[in-house]
Amino acid sequence: MSTDKQEREPLFSTKNRKLLTNPLNIDNPITVQVLGICSALAVTAKIKPAFVMALSVIVVTTLANLIISVLRNGIPPRIRIIVQLVVIASLVILVDQVLKAFVYDVSKQLSVFVGLIITNCIIMGRLEAFAMGNKPWPSILDGIGNGLGYGVILIVVGFVRELFGSGTIWGFQVIPEAFYELGYKNNGFMILPPMALIIVGIIIWIQRSRNPELIEEK
Amino acid sequence: MQEIFNIFVKSIFVDNMVFAYFLGMCSYLAVSKTVNTSVGLGLAVIFVLGITVPVDYLLNDYILKPGALAWLDPEFKDVDLSFLSFILFIAIIASMVQLVEMVVEKFSPALYSSLGIFLPLIAVNCAILGGSLFMQEREYQSLAQATSFGLGSGVGWFLAIVGIAAIREKIRYSNVPKPLRGLGITFIITGLMGIAFMSFLGIKL
Amino acid sequence: MYSNAYIFRYAGLMVILVATILSSAAMLLKPLQERNEAIDKMQSILSASGIQNVTADNAIELFNDYVVNMIVIDDNGNVINEFKGAGKENSEAFKINLKEQLYNKSVNRSFKLPLYVLEKDGETINIIPLRGVGLWGPVWGNIALKSDFNTVVGVTFGHKSETPGLGAEIESPVFKEQFPGKKIFNDEGEFVSIGVIKGGVEKFPAEVQRHNVDAVSGGTITSNGVNDMLKNVLESYVPYIQKRG
Repeated sequence: MSTDKQEREPLFSTKNRKLLTNPLNIDNPITVQVLGICSALAVTAKIKPAFVMALSVIVVTTLANLIISVLRNGIPPRIRIIVQLVVIASLVILVDQVLKAFVYDVSKQLSVFVGLIITNCIIMGRLEAFAMGNKPWPSILDGIGNGLGYGVILIVVGFVRELFGSGTIWGFQVIPEAFYELGYKNNGFMILPPMALIIVGIIIWIQRSRNPELIEEK
Repeated sequence: MQEIFNIFVKSIFVDNMVFAYFLGMCSYLAVSKTVNTSVGLGLAVIFVLGITVPVDYLLNDYILKPGALAWLDPEFKDVDLSFLSFILFIAIIASMVQLVEMVVEKFSPALYSSLGIFLPLIAVNCAILGGSLFMQEREYQSLAQATSFGLGSGVGWFLAIVGIAAIREKIRYSNVPKPLRGLGITFIITGLMGIAFMSFLGIKL
Repeated sequence: MYSNAYIFRYAGLMVILVATILSSAAMLLKPLQERNEAIDKMQSILSASGIQNVTADNAIELFNDYVVNMIVIDDNGNVINEFKGAGKENSEAFKINLKEQLYNKSVNRSFKLPLYVLEKDGETINIIPLRGVGLWGPVWGNIALKSDFNTVVGVTFGHKSETPGLGAEIESPVFKEQFPGKKIFNDEGEFVSIGVIKGGVEKFPAEVQRHNVDAVSGGTITSNGVNDMLKNVLESYVPYIQKRG
């Protein structure tokens, strides 16, 4: 239909690489696109769940982006939200069911995240904003990139909250006993959800100081 | 009757979706720039919660719960369809949201364009699915209770978003450090509001 | 634009496809899942009584070795069913739906509850399964009591969807290790349950310490849920315990 003389793009052209790297910084899903905040609050009290969640979201966004991108030309716009959600939800439920049958221990760890993944607006947001209008391969990259960008923030917030809230990293005690004997106390406030909001706010502050083009004028 | 009223008040203040459970944050943070749009989105959320919670209640009671199908035939009393609850709840929510989207598009194009991508995102607004899952978990005894819970949660969310929008309108006159303007300061204020709301936590009604 | 007929066809097809995939997955995997759940329950029961090294493979065998009696009691504390033979994983006491029975209790209908009796190193241990509500969903567990039905031997907790790092910490050893040695009756023989309280148990007099443990930090609602669960379930066994004398 168009005079599309464009040559086949290489798999990792500059444009495609951008899809991977932009979400890590100037197009970060949490600090710039404001997606996936609820789950970011729920899982960042410790690093380990933050890590597990980041991993699951990378897998689910990538797969969901791929599926929707393949289906994109057939989905009637009027029911696209339902189609997108059904794809996400069945993907997640299916994985959960299989894990529950074959690797029960893993599934016990993950079952908490199932609901959080389905309602994670990153997945839905990327489907709506990217996969609905792009070819499968860029969609896969977009999924991975956004999953990573989300994961980075999660792990940073988890690190700060766990270090100051519990004095541990990945469950290992890092603040020496001697400190506690001198009167150091874990900051119980850190592990409450409002502190995650405040830490994300500070991350935004730092990020925008370094990337002035992100500053909102009004 | 009193019970229903209690549930309503409790879900607005004590169990506030935003400040007590931190649900529905994405659209809360992104669409709270002005009071006008946030009133629009808040009303949409009240509407969607007010419909989906009772509908999902009926669905859960008559179809999904273990033994719920017994009204069809006593033979079905061992059927447990609860593994379908996630997907059915989501489907109901998504169709309601689509409905709201069509209505808003038709009657208020201005609101429609300012809500932008966030209207479809109500569907994944965790406050909405959270409402249905809480309803299932807390085992409300009647449809009226479930409805009042749904509406109350919606009103709570509405109050939260209108509150933060009002603060954001005022804060434009303050000298906030540049990189913190907009989103950054909103995160921090929400955190502070959340801490304040914690004082409601645990009030028994 | 797409016609309405197309939309309906598309939606219909999608629903059928998804429903088929999901329900066949659920049906095919159900036996495996149920077996895993049963094994998990056995592991939890055994671990509450301090039996180590229970793997998924030897759980059924160990469970049948250690458990000597599986009892079903009614709300007046009468024993209505006992099971001592092999194949305890299929007995009524093992399969009782605790959620349903506790719901019956909450609406003042009659109910029945299970009690598992273990023998370990010549000592009798009584296990009471627990179930309650946390912040986001159900919490459950097992509490092991000595033969006096008073002193706690150990506990296990589980949950469906508590916040990782906050409420989910009820599963952590730090929380569970507080329980052994606590008492559920006071010196006068009145039932007091075991409380989960905030702000440091060690500040209270010994009398209070005996019946309370520290809540998990940042998990107030989950801790309250555990507190209520212990009280609600344990008090249902009081008639039985008192009848035994």
